[in-house]
Amino acid sequence: MAATFFGEVVRAPCRAGTEDEEEEEEEGRRETPEDGEVRQQLARKREVRFLRRQTKTTLEVSLLEKYPCSKFIIAIGNNAVAFLSSFIMNSGVWEEVGCAKLWNEWCRTVDTTHLSPTEAFCVFYHLKSNPSVFGSCPRKNMQVTILTCRHVTDYKTSESTSSLHTPFLKALKTQNFREPPCCSLLEQPNIVHDLPAAVLSYCQVWKISAILYLCYTDVMKLDLITVEAFKPVLSSRSLKSLVKNIPQSTEILKKLMTTNEIQSNIYT
Amino acid sequence: MASQYDRAITVFSPDGHLFQVEYAQEAVKKGSTVVGIRGTDIVVLGVEKKSVAKLQDERIVRKICALDDHVCMAFAGLTADARVVISRARVECQSHKLTVEDPVTVEYITRFIATLKQKYTQSNGRRPFGISALIVGFDNDGISRLYQTDPSGTYHAWKANAIGRSAKTVREFLEKNYTEDAIANDSEAIKLAIRALLEVVQSGGKNIELAIIRRKQPLKMFSAKEIELQVNETGKKKEEAKKKKSKKTA
Repeated sequence: MAATFFGEVVRAPCRAGTEDEEEEEEEGRRETPEDGEVRQQLARKREVRFLRRQTKTTLEVSLLEKYPCSKFIIAIGNNAVAFLSSFIMNSGVWEEVGCAKLWNEWCRTVDTTHLSPTEAFCVFYHLKSNPSVFGSCPRKNMQVTILTCRHVTDYKTSESTSSLHTPFLKALKTQNFREPPCCSLLEQPNIVHDLPAAVLSYCQVWKISAILYLCYTDVMKLDLITVEAFKPVLSSRSLKSLVKNIPQSTEILKKLMTTNEIQSNIYT
Repeated sequence: MASQYDRAITVFSPDGHLFQVEYAQEAVKKGSTVVGIRGTDIVVLGVEKKSVAKLQDERIVRKICALDDHVCMAFAGLTADARVVISRARVECQSHKLTVEDPVTVEYITRFIATLKQKYTQSNGRRPFGISALIVGFDNDGISRLYQTDPSGTYHAWKANAIGRSAKTVREFLEKNYTEDAIANDSEAIKLAIRALLEVVQSGGKNIELAIIRRKQPLKMFSAKEIELQVNETGKKKEEAKKKKSKKTA
């Protein structure tokens, strides 16, 4: 205990840790019934839900069992998604099988039960002609490809940053991935963050063959040159079979760009 | 380390960086591409036009501005910062004419703009201007000039340069293709500017704006039709060159 200038008595931090202090801390830790209720409500709000987008009905059968697969491609970020939609999903018929929706305190909407169809955070597709492409089941013979982007200012290198030719591709793979990657590997001390890192770590732990292609770019918004930087990935063994018509893909990509072209007015 | 030294403009980091200035240079990369070429008798400025919203008036968004009858500039970066810099530069051009009874030289007005930008990197409570500019024109001696300024307040003279998004790609194209033949006459210089821009502008001529200054003549902005014509001619030349190459290899 300590007394301040103003005459109030405050608890001074004590590293010795007496018995009295421990008891007081335990009392503070004991939850009131209200705390428990709030915690339960939050947990219910934050549940990840799988739905069919068109009918908004919940997918009762677990996606894992319904769609086992050998190839799983995940694109994170608008440039990676644009690449996937134009170059891979334009060949063959891809059927949407469901979407994942979740809510947490960072979301801007307050209403958690009626998220609109446009607010799905992850949409799952599978190739109709070859249903073994897609899925989320951790099978040992499955190959996972992750595509994502990062701003070039996050790239640490001993070279001068002005000599970097952005955008450029770097790869990071799990131990079980045997193929040669389509670009150079990510050097130390650079690290991967967020969802791509989680997916790659999961694959490493479960001994799944996975590779992450990370595009370092100076334009984080949807940008043609950044999307085209992913093109070397099309020559990989796993994706080669999925790519059919590259000129058509370029056209689709241009259309995607025009719909997104109205940019912020701050920069000219 | 960066997070401790990047909040205030007036603080150096231990390894000598002024992070706010470097971040301002990142803001420049968010602007659309600008290319400038200095020919013998002509200076050319080409910009990538940003598409505007449906209800927005296109004419208001101008990247190429005249500073005086014989000098003009194009910028890349924060629009509002550019407006302030251009306004100050225009006033300085007239003030110089009144005081010294001579129009500014291109180098003088470039130095003025660069000094203005540098002041904002050394004042407390201010941030650097988030623009780079390409300033072109002809001096009284009849020689063409092209200068580039950046947010740190440095300026350099160039034969040809590019700023904004994908500036590196365009600069590399210019390094390969800027030859004495390429700027031999006015139309060749204009075509070089268009070819450089087409390296990074995907949607073709309709998203390009072009301006030229000839000796003793004011700034001329190309109309959409004229640009389309130039783009088509450039396209034809490219095809002819390709045919020649394929004939040679065959």
